[in-house]
Amino acid sequence: MTTLPTETAEAPRAAEAAALTETSTKSPAPPGRRRPVGTASWYVIALFISSVMVVPLLWMITIGLKSGTAVFEVPPRLLPHEFKWSNFVNGPQAIHFPRLLLNSTIITVLSVLGGVMTAMMAGYALARLRFPGRKLWFYLFVGSMLLPGVVGLIPLFQLYKSIGWYDTWLPLIVPAFFGGNPLFIFLARQYFLAIPYSIDEAAKIDGAGHFRIFTSVMLPLTRPAWITMAILAFQASWNDFLNPLVYLYSSEKWPLSVGMASFISPFAGQTPNWSYYMATNLLYMLPPLIIFFAAQRYFIQGLGSLGSTTQK
Amino acid sequence: MNRDGPRGGRGLSRNAGSDVKAAYLFIAPAIIGFTVFVVYPLIRSFYLALTKYNGLTDPVFVGLANFRRLFTVDPAFWPSLRATGYLVVLYVPLSLAIGLALAMFCNQRFAGVRIVRTLAYLPVVLPAVATITLWKFILNPQVGLLNTILEKLHLPTSNWLQSPAMSMPSIVIVMLWGVGGTMIIFLAALQAVPTELYEAARVDGAGPSSVFFRITLPMISPIMLLQVILQTTAALQTFNQPKILTNGGPGFSTSVLMLSIYNNGFSNLGRVPQLGYASAQVWVLFILIIAVIALTAKFSSLWTYSDNTPD
Repeated sequence: MTTLPTETAEAPRAAEAAALTETSTKSPAPPGRRRPVGTASWYVIALFISSVMVVPLLWMITIGLKSGTAVFEVPPRLLPHEFKWSNFVNGPQAIHFPRLLLNSTIITVLSVLGGVMTAMMAGYALARLRFPGRKLWFYLFVGSMLLPGVVGLIPLFQLYKSIGWYDTWLPLIVPAFFGGNPLFIFLARQYFLAIPYSIDEAAKIDGAGHFRIFTSVMLPLTRPAWITMAILAFQASWNDFLNPLVYLYSSEKWPLSVGMASFISPFAGQTPNWSYYMATNLLYMLPPLIIFFAAQRYFIQGLGSLGSTTQK
Repeated sequence: MNRDGPRGGRGLSRNAGSDVKAAYLFIAPAIIGFTVFVVYPLIRSFYLALTKYNGLTDPVFVGLANFRRLFTVDPAFWPSLRATGYLVVLYVPLSLAIGLALAMFCNQRFAGVRIVRTLAYLPVVLPAVATITLWKFILNPQVGLLNTILEKLHLPTSNWLQSPAMSMPSIVIVMLWGVGGTMIIFLAALQAVPTELYEAARVDGAGPSSVFFRITLPMISPIMLLQVILQTTAALQTFNQPKILTNGGPGFSTSVLMLSIYNNGFSNLGRVPQLGYASAQVWVLFILIIAVIALTAKFSSLWTYSDNTPD
């Protein structure tokens, strides 16, 4: 049990890193490897896989362009015969998308900031400073990665309620500022371990304290690590459904996940307007999509270098 | 785990006193967080599992009564265990098999393989609620995409989420759309297999199936072990899909443990929350997860291959 957490954490990251790094550098298979399937059949299968992944998304867009009644035509048409671009204005309005987006943005930005900052600090201490209990804390943090989140849900719910945090964003933000994600602490530590110690020594000779070293020497050097963490933290917060569902009661405080889901849950026998929903759903997907494609380079670099440190 | 931070005795230990102070300043948020958000809830949740607690008045200690009620009285508990087990048994092997097949498929040299890989990973990047709600409509029996396509191909259609027999398989289909996450980990494992092994096998005239069973599978078995643990523990905690797609129905067919915990502890349907009872369910789930990890790790030596002894 003591070594297991380390493996569970580092292997997928390292693996993902290797897989993603590889995409940017060299061709997928080593030249000597045999092709088990012929070219034609490979492309047929490739087309099938791509369709399974893409067609649902394209269909979502066509639903978003149909009129509310055209959606329920039987037999359904795959393409709308009349494009209702207004759905992309009226849909978000009906779902209160701007407000949900603002809420999600505030919650996500703050929890990314807190999560990355405190994990970097803890990782710095665990990797580069000598203090009693260093190993113990490391193993405790790593071990807590195995703990299912649901174990804490009920006691924390009561705790937040008793201090007046129920129905506020604080339960979704504050834990991040206290090293919320042990995986990040682990990643930060691994990354800090790979930096030569001569750099600290040189900075110390120049009279820099730990705070100085951390902010002006270490943070620039570990840029790929914290950008990677920021992406992971963004995804975790943007996609989180259970926690806001449990901790937030008032609809004006909901983030996108809960707000979107509530729009299509059957309420008072009303049929939800699916074309409004799908048009808005596309907008909901856009920020993670943009980040995925824009930050792919950092994602790859970061995970790649994390991977190389963990594999040692 | 060969490198363990600053080496003792050299350089950094000169001002050890200031190091300790600085270290605890840097690590303080994480330690406070660990105590408040991990240790405290863990202990408290174990205690609450042994109490009757509605969240308003103080918890009343009742010993193992919650567990007795779970296993002998509650008509919803065994169905929820059954649904959870069904989900795990259905999802985990399929996710591993399809993930590995996709990874092997994407581990070949063809123009455009990067596009296929990116597209297969795409659903993993999208928000869970966005994809689940999209699939809720795709699986709509009358106007959904899936039945439309099946009808065009003259294949049998289904009521999917609305049919007791197909509701759980439908949820698994939705979950499998995110199989790209499994794929990407297998892909890295495949790329780490030394090419010489394949070359040697080719020289020896080994066929594709013996290459797969004698080289590929043994070489990636440590990652396979990891995947079994990760996927099973994640599947045991499935919540979003059943909550959004079926809310447990029809009947008890998709009322997984997490949903039952949520309903007992937090449901806003005007019922009194049963937080002690829900905590007992949390601990059943927790023990299941520990059992899966322990059993998988214990029997791993039977089927995983390692070329070096752990240090």
